[in-house]
Amino acid sequence: MNAIASATPSSPTTAPGREIIRSLTLANGLKIIVWPVRNIPNVALYNWVRAGSRNEAPGITGLAHFFEHMMFNGTARRVAGDFDRLMEARGGANNAFTSDDVTVYQDWFPRDALELIFDLEADRIANLAFDPEVIESERGVVASERRLCVDDNNHGHLAEQVQAAAFLAHPYQFPTIGWPADIQSWTLADLQKFFRTYYAPNNQTFVVAGDVSPEEVFALARKYLEPIPRQAAPDPVRAREPEQAAERRVLVRRNGQTPLLQYAYKAPAAADARAPALNLLISILVDGDASRLYRELVENRKVIVDLGGHWHEGFDPALFWLYFTLPEGGDPDLVQPIIDAELARVARDGVTAEELRRAKSMAAVAFWKKLSTIDGKAQLLGEYEIFHGDWAKLFSAPEELERVTAADVNAVARDVLAVNRRTVGVLIPDPQAEGEPAEDNAELEEA
Amino acid sequence: MSTAYALTHPASGAVQVPPHERIVLPNGATLIVVPRRDVPLVAFQAVLRGGPVCDPLVADESGCLAGVASLVAGLLEKGAGDRDAFAFADAVEGAGGNFSVTPGSEALSISGQYLARDQHLMIELLADALLRPRFDAGELEKLRARRIELIKATKDSDPADLIGIYGRAQLFGSQHPFGHPIGGSEASLAAVTHEHVLTYYADHFGADRLILVVAGDLDVPSLRRQVEDAFGGWRPAGVPLIRLMEPLRAQGRRVLLVDSPESAQTYFWLANVGVSKRYRQHAALDLVNTLYGGRFTSMLNTELRIKSGLSYSARAGFSRGTVAGEFAIRSFTDTANTRKALDLSLDTLARLKQDGVTNDMLDSARAYVLGQYPLGFETAADWAGALAELEFYGLDARYIDHYDAMLRAVSLQDARLVIDDAFPHPDDLTVVLVGDAKKIRRVARRYGPVTVMSITQPEFVPGPRARRSAPLPQQ
Repeated sequence: MNAIASATPSSPTTAPGREIIRSLTLANGLKIIVWPVRNIPNVALYNWVRAGSRNEAPGITGLAHFFEHMMFNGTARRVAGDFDRLMEARGGANNAFTSDDVTVYQDWFPRDALELIFDLEADRIANLAFDPEVIESERGVVASERRLCVDDNNHGHLAEQVQAAAFLAHPYQFPTIGWPADIQSWTLADLQKFFRTYYAPNNQTFVVAGDVSPEEVFALARKYLEPIPRQAAPDPVRAREPEQAAERRVLVRRNGQTPLLQYAYKAPAAADARAPALNLLISILVDGDASRLYRELVENRKVIVDLGGHWHEGFDPALFWLYFTLPEGGDPDLVQPIIDAELARVARDGVTAEELRRAKSMAAVAFWKKLSTIDGKAQLLGEYEIFHGDWAKLFSAPEELERVTAADVNAVARDVLAVNRRTVGVLIPDPQAEGEPAEDNAELEEA
Repeated sequence: MSTAYALTHPASGAVQVPPHERIVLPNGATLIVVPRRDVPLVAFQAVLRGGPVCDPLVADESGCLAGVASLVAGLLEKGAGDRDAFAFADAVEGAGGNFSVTPGSEALSISGQYLARDQHLMIELLADALLRPRFDAGELEKLRARRIELIKATKDSDPADLIGIYGRAQLFGSQHPFGHPIGGSEASLAAVTHEHVLTYYADHFGADRLILVVAGDLDVPSLRRQVEDAFGGWRPAGVPLIRLMEPLRAQGRRVLLVDSPESAQTYFWLANVGVSKRYRQHAALDLVNTLYGGRFTSMLNTELRIKSGLSYSARAGFSRGTVAGEFAIRSFTDTANTRKALDLSLDTLARLKQDGVTNDMLDSARAYVLGQYPLGFETAADWAGALAELEFYGLDARYIDHYDAMLRAVSLQDARLVIDDAFPHPDDLTVVLVGDAKKIRRVARRYGPVTVMSITQPEFVPGPRARRSAPLPQQ
């Protein structure tokens, strides 16, 4: 018993680790941040590329996401498939994701594969190949991904329509996966231009967390990444969305059983000073069974069967989303005033001290959970570096959260939950597609 | 009664079970404590043996009133002890914690994570939920109505998520508990009464069914005292735990076509009965499945995604219980490519069965599995889950500690043995297709006799109206 007895557990408000993190900016502008962690013999590497659907234009929507696929498809030195084959044969796995703002490449591997990973990552940044056959095949993969997430997904389909309607001028209107016709029509020249511009070393940031020393990582970065030439900085995204003056509405009729409602409010950019308050607001509204909207709409009024929300924290002002699933037969026209009355009450009367305390505690647990893995550490460091300008801000996040007052949350609620600055999406299940298809049975009897 | 494991110094890279304490209380409840102090969190994993396999049997063709255990699980946090449903949620979330009840097929799993300062509250809430649930009738009505609607919503936005439920019902049939939907169906949930809930709780909740693992930044002496106080006096379950029959492998092929009109893709699931958790050659199985369908460059994903661009994803894997669960292949493709993708899936399985794997392939899979293994044992919550699983299956620490050595020892002969033994022949598969029936029903008939049902039907099995058609002659 004594061997595992402990002192009273503590709950620090500042995260440990800051003093052991090192960063280095190479001569070509690529920055590397290293957090040495020795709890498991593994490493998480994130490469944050500042390229997302925000950097696209009509006709080439989905291109940033397409690179998330093409970056695995061969280089001048290695044929398509080698990247994954070599990495997996040394114990590594990888993934990637694309958002409106960034494309992020993730590798998780045993520490003795560190040099191979730097070789592979540098190779695809320096020497990516554009084999026409591979491009055609990958279009098919992306089209399948789109059918999964949008075409065969009522929630995804409605969200795409709402997002497109919410912006008139800003490229945040583009679906990250791309419009179907664009997926089929990118040219080789489109790909080459996008790659040269956005996959320049000066447009990328590496974050490494795990069983490594900063010195060995920096040495590998100098060897593999530093020779890649810097490029001219990409043109800034100049588009500014004009102020929205009135509510917009999108109506969709689709095969299905359950009606959906989505609200997308214009919201501030990630770096806005109100960010901690806005995150607490969303938690107060929709996180967990004790949240305001869940309790009122799902438990008390029983007009909603599922709900959720998120704030798109981007480089530019984006959207604060709330989404609701109605029961079969539910009437969105009747339910919407009930939801709106609740939201108006939040904007008018504010949140309670108890609600704020709950949201802060939930955020604290979520923060520590993230910090308990090398993956979470790499992700958080990257998020603070990219969207807040400095990885070190991560370490003041718990204190900043603690400092938020109910008045701060109420102020941001009044600003953001404005009816005239939202887009409402309604999905009505199409009754024609209901029921068992009669012709089916007829055909089967013939067989 | 108590065993303390000494910390051994592992070879570089090898995962070793951390020091922990295991206590079996006189009433049969098993407690495992794992101190770990990297972040100020504590986590628990409670496992209650039984779960949905103990759903009540009924005389009709469904064989079982599926979903009772799952509703009981959901109701545990809808009022317990001195707290009603709202007060319970306020207590959990007010502390920033969570209380998550997941019905597995043979157990109910409850997990949660709290700030270290709330260790005492965490155990209090868990003990209330397990020993003093209120099972308020109004809460049952609400939960049941909501669960039914959520199944419909899933059919609209993530039909692939349900394909395994349709599939297991076909493969294991109504006579085996693995054939019943864990969360129930729209129809079965509607038939559950308050009486079913109370009877289930009396029969299948009790100290002898409980495994509790607590891990993290703990105050061990006070935790031990509190757990002994909280669970030491709990009664045993009302009935003995059922022993599952070993499911039979299916012979031949049959196809269930779930009609989802206007679906842009066909989602498919091809399966047969596989092996159990105690399968002796599990290290070889993990390597071969990694090669066949368990990683990005697997044979299956190489054919369906990397080489042909037919699908975003193609995976295969074994679900292993105290008895054999299923081996299943899962993928999807554009409706027009249904035949191509199904043929490729069957061809790769035939190739595995015939040609086996090579030494180079085994080496690559071994490096991959060894390299990824430590990532699953990083946090206190990971260890809570892992130790609960060992305890549940009656495995000891060697299952984890020796995994590294077992993987290194797998030979080509071992791989051949599991390919012959655990992977089904492509002619013996239960096939489920979710897609637009008017476009794919002729294609479906190439793979065996077809039964068609609508995705809007409230059960996961075809109703009495469904008819079967003969397979097409092979062309």
